[in-house]
Amino acid sequence: MQYEILARPASSVVKVSMNQGEHLTCEVGAMVAMSTRMTVETTTQKKGASGGGIMKGLKRLFAGESLFINHFTAQSDGQYIILGPTMMGDVVHHRLDNATLIVQGGSWLASDPDIEIDASFQGLGKAFFSGEGAFWVKCSGSGDLFMNSFGAIYPVEVDGDYIVDTGHIVAFEDTLNFNVQKAGASWIGSFLGGEGLVCRFQGKGIVYCQSHNPSSFGSSLGPSLKPRQS
Amino acid sequence: MSFTITQRPDFALVTVQLQSGQTYHSEPGAMATMSPNIELKASLKGGLMSSISRGLGGESLIISSYTSKGGEGEITFAAGQPGDALHYALDGSTDIYLQRGAYLANSEGVEITSKWQGMRGFFSGEGLILLKAHGNGDLFFNSYGAIIELDVEDDVYVDTGFIVAFESTLNYQVTTLPGARPGTNWKSLFLGGEGLVCRFSGRGKVWIQTRQIATYLNWVHRYRPVQKSN
Repeated sequence: MQYEILARPASSVVKVSMNQGEHLTCEVGAMVAMSTRMTVETTTQKKGASGGGIMKGLKRLFAGESLFINHFTAQSDGQYIILGPTMMGDVVHHRLDNATLIVQGGSWLASDPDIEIDASFQGLGKAFFSGEGAFWVKCSGSGDLFMNSFGAIYPVEVDGDYIVDTGHIVAFEDTLNFNVQKAGASWIGSFLGGEGLVCRFQGKGIVYCQSHNPSSFGSSLGPSLKPRQS
Repeated sequence: MSFTITQRPDFALVTVQLQSGQTYHSEPGAMATMSPNIELKASLKGGLMSSISRGLGGESLIISSYTSKGGEGEITFAAGQPGDALHYALDGSTDIYLQRGAYLANSEGVEITSKWQGMRGFFSGEGLILLKAHGNGDLFFNSYGAIIELDVEDDVYVDTGFIVAFESTLNYQVTTLPGARPGTNWKSLFLGGEGLVCRFSGRGKVWIQTRQIATYLNWVHRYRPVQKSN
């Protein structure tokens, strides 16, 4: 499997070339174009921890609480697929080597099927921050992983303590300890300062950060938009 | 006629040098700057029927025309949305089909009409109602996000929302992904999000965009204020 990231940094897509029998697991809706000798299969992953069953699964589907995943398999050599995210921003590749990376839900784009994906990870809390739809994907194993960001993406090698606003986290290695806390000394100061909650990382490992916070952008657009019915 | 395209791929700007008496046409509002000796006229170019045909193709009924009077002139064009732009030299042998909204500008000698897609376009839900550029001259088209050129030798699938333009030498068909056909795997069709794609076959070029306005609008939608019912 080979890859190439095109049109960086604001309109990035990744082109993954695959030979017969190779697989790729992708976020649903990420496929822009692909060659024809590929097959697709859709499965779901629960977001957040909750029970299973078909009816519950359907309920989650309409509540937008499931992560839908497409598995692409090349049926012959020289096949390719182009994947793109929704928002303006970059795509980055990360190689997992028997390790775990925790990826913000909207940033997970694709990964090697040998990497186990668990969207029910709740270590960072769910309703706490980042608004609705926030969830985390725990990626464990070995293989290639692709993530996307809103704006530019930059890795920070943490050695000691480091603080990242929760809306700017793309992913982090689980070798890091983390806890969510308020940014300032007082709650009032934290929220008035616009930095409601931050994540304090401790230890040694990589944190991928994005230059822009999607929910800040959305919130700044909101007041200019026409109200919706529901 | 000479031209340059600068600021690719995120903020493409097309600059065209006009000779004395030469005319250029564009979608309304596309002109960013121009020499003072260029005269602008808005018209239903090609007559009412041709305009209605363009309207069916998702473009404005009105075409802006720019004529350089009493000497050379320079004009720059940019699309409403940030994105890429490309040039194609039509020589009468191959036509170009443009997706809704992709038309930017053209020189004299190029005719823009719509092509009724029949059920193919109707079914896609993406408004695969295409404009057709035909004739001898220069054509400029634009995208949201970067434009990537695919040289089709073997068949290729493109999500219908990512098609910008393609050469008329290609055959195309709106279809579903393999494994996503009804009866084989209903989940992929309904939950896969990638249900409808355009399959291109034969030889020719397809230009695809790396982002889609529709998905961006879906993202923005959740930030709209909710209307209070009285």
